[in-house]
Amino acid sequence: MRRFALLAALALCVPRPAAAALRVVSSIPTLGSLAKEVGGDRVEVESLAKGYQDPHFVEPKPSLMLLLNRADLLLYVGLELEIGWLPPLVLGSRNPKIQTGELGNLDCSRAIPVLDVPTTKVDRSMGDIHPQGNPHYWLPPSNARIIAREIALRLSQIDPGGAATYQKNLAAFNARVDAAVKKWQPMVDKVRGAKVVTYHKSWTYMSQWLGLQEIGYLEPKPGIPPDPDHLFRLIQAMRAEHVQLVLVEDFYNLNTARLVAEKGSAKLLDLPTDVGAKPQIKDWFILVETILKQLSSAI
Amino acid sequence: MLMLLLALIAAPAQAGQPAGGPGTRADTGPPAPAGSADAGQDDEALRRELEKALGRDAAAAAGQTSSAPPTQAPASATSGAAPPAPLFRGAQSLNPDISVILDAEAGYQRRPLQFLNGDDPVLRGEEGKKALGFAVQEVELAFSAIVDPYFRGDVFLTIPNLTGLEVEEAFATSTSLPWNLQLKGGSFRSAFGRQNGQHLHMQDFTRRPLINAAFLGADGLRGPGAQVSWLAPLPFYLTLYAEAFSLGAPEEPGPGTTLAPPVASFGGGEPHDLTYTAEAKAFFPFGDAWSVYLGLNGATGVSPGLFQPTDTGVVVLGANRRSYLVGADLYVKWKPPNVAAGYNSVAWQTEAIWRHLDDAEGVPGGWDGGLYSQVVLQVARRWFLGLRGDVLGIPTSSSLGQTLRGSASVTFQMSEFARVRAYVEAEHAASGPSIPGVSLAAVQPGDAVAAFLQLEISMGAHGAHPF
Repeated sequence: MRRFALLAALALCVPRPAAAALRVVSSIPTLGSLAKEVGGDRVEVESLAKGYQDPHFVEPKPSLMLLLNRADLLLYVGLELEIGWLPPLVLGSRNPKIQTGELGNLDCSRAIPVLDVPTTKVDRSMGDIHPQGNPHYWLPPSNARIIAREIALRLSQIDPGGAATYQKNLAAFNARVDAAVKKWQPMVDKVRGAKVVTYHKSWTYMSQWLGLQEIGYLEPKPGIPPDPDHLFRLIQAMRAEHVQLVLVEDFYNLNTARLVAEKGSAKLLDLPTDVGAKPQIKDWFILVETILKQLSSAI
Repeated sequence: MLMLLLALIAAPAQAGQPAGGPGTRADTGPPAPAGSADAGQDDEALRRELEKALGRDAAAAAGQTSSAPPTQAPASATSGAAPPAPLFRGAQSLNPDISVILDAEAGYQRRPLQFLNGDDPVLRGEEGKKALGFAVQEVELAFSAIVDPYFRGDVFLTIPNLTGLEVEEAFATSTSLPWNLQLKGGSFRSAFGRQNGQHLHMQDFTRRPLINAAFLGADGLRGPGAQVSWLAPLPFYLTLYAEAFSLGAPEEPGPGTTLAPPVASFGGGEPHDLTYTAEAKAFFPFGDAWSVYLGLNGATGVSPGLFQPTDTGVVVLGANRRSYLVGADLYVKWKPPNVAAGYNSVAWQTEAIWRHLDDAEGVPGGWDGGLYSQVVLQVARRWFLGLRGDVLGIPTSSSLGQTLRGSASVTFQMSEFARVRAYVEAEHAASGPSIPGVSLAAVQPGDAVAAFLQLEISMGAHGAHPF
């Protein structure tokens, strides 16, 4: 007990940083980027995962607990995308504000119309599936608006003094999205209906927005690496369906995908899926535009 | 002190929050309607008033169930935002996450395994005889859940070698303490070192290192106790731990046993003799790919002595001596976050423990120690190669002779939930411990090999592991 009292006394002696911007920590950089759009100067944003990293597999390094320890708001994708690494970090952060159920803990999927929700009993013979639905939802404009709205709402609750600013920034963000969607329309029209094969089942939301037809996946099942039998059948299907594109996130090894694209007479595109995937991809607008440009110029 | 702790646990989360001076924000209270934002200076007074009122309520409601503080995130339908469309999200359940992990083996050993851990595979071999066959090394049942806004609960039950149900761990962890503190209570694995805190399925090899059974006990340093830990507010990660355990002495060897088990460090003395530990863990990332995790560990307790089987029963030598353990562990990992260039990674782990046992009647005290060092290479997405070297008896003492062991493992990870591992070890035991005038045989001298083919499967929702 004396030891505890000593620790407590030590903790009290540590100087507190002066009140400053709200510290927002996001699991993936895109959520942080959207928070910056809405939060403006009232927030400081940091991300746990890198934009060029597979968000399913992030090393739960203790240094990330330090970021979370100082966070006022934690943003995460949810739908069990981060289940393999985020919970021990949140527990180890010793930050009561960001525990589940608290205001500082925002599951950004809460208002998203989720796709690929299993309609039958699931088990892991189906691969590393997400029982609550597909978590790769942050790219299409309609979902970005929802995420931004939820973040604005939560920021207003945590920092009521900034509520007007957050609402103003949200309106400005939505207006920019409107303008961008208008600007992107020719590219969207060009790729509509294109037949694609993807590595992981992570393009569902983009396919819905862009009207892409997903003919198959390099992974036989989510999270299970490709095997020759499956790839053989996939290439047959690609030839039969005249698949134009093979889409691979830039954190997967391209060797297999390159071979499949070549044998299936399709073009291989390695695409960013997160802000920070490349140094020049600094926000959600640049991210989506980069993807659309790559897609439309490959068709 | 107890009252203070309880008050801390139940305190609303705003206590001790680092960001924001008093009254800048109502972080965890119910949301203020948009527009009435800058209540500003009155907030602190209001907060005090509310605390007082809640205190009165709590006093009045003594004996009744307490009401939860208003810290839940409110529905998003405030502030005029459109309510989210009703969504199908699968069946919700407040049951804990439940998982089962099975480790099963086919194996060969030239003589029974020495420095046997509770979770080692046992092939029912007898001394001087080879054994070949199957074992179910462990069945683990895990339950975990957020208990309430203040605690998380974890229970791990194991059945090692089909012998019976054991409580490997069952503990609560606080989630809402201020000042970067965390409490853990129940029965749990100590934070001493690196491998001790890890369950069997976290190990990169089929058997735990020699220092586990030699210094921490066959089941590792675990038992009923309490832990307080503190994350230091520094630019780098440093967490300090202090623990106290009530440990029992290991079981005496049964009739017919001729080998003495290793001298236990803890579990002797009177029922009020606790085992205390203190640990410091520091983490340094270098760039995206490199990680260095360091630990310094200390523990003290009372040794139950050396159990020496004789024809007439077990003789206990050197009972109730104070033991001191000091240890250090180092974990260095290289793993690039982007795997486009390949799934390669390297992890190097080394751990050393030294022990001092005081003098006892007929048994001289002194220092002994041991260490292991292991490298695990990920050579492809699903393939891992491991090499480990173990040394016990640096220096040798009256309680511990010298033993060397080398082991290698090849692991094929079929999915996140199943893996197959081939494991071989070769052991050289130079000598057992020696006490002048006493005949001891804690290890069987000579060389021995063992090999196992291990299947590990994980079913259900098993919580993520720390780094």
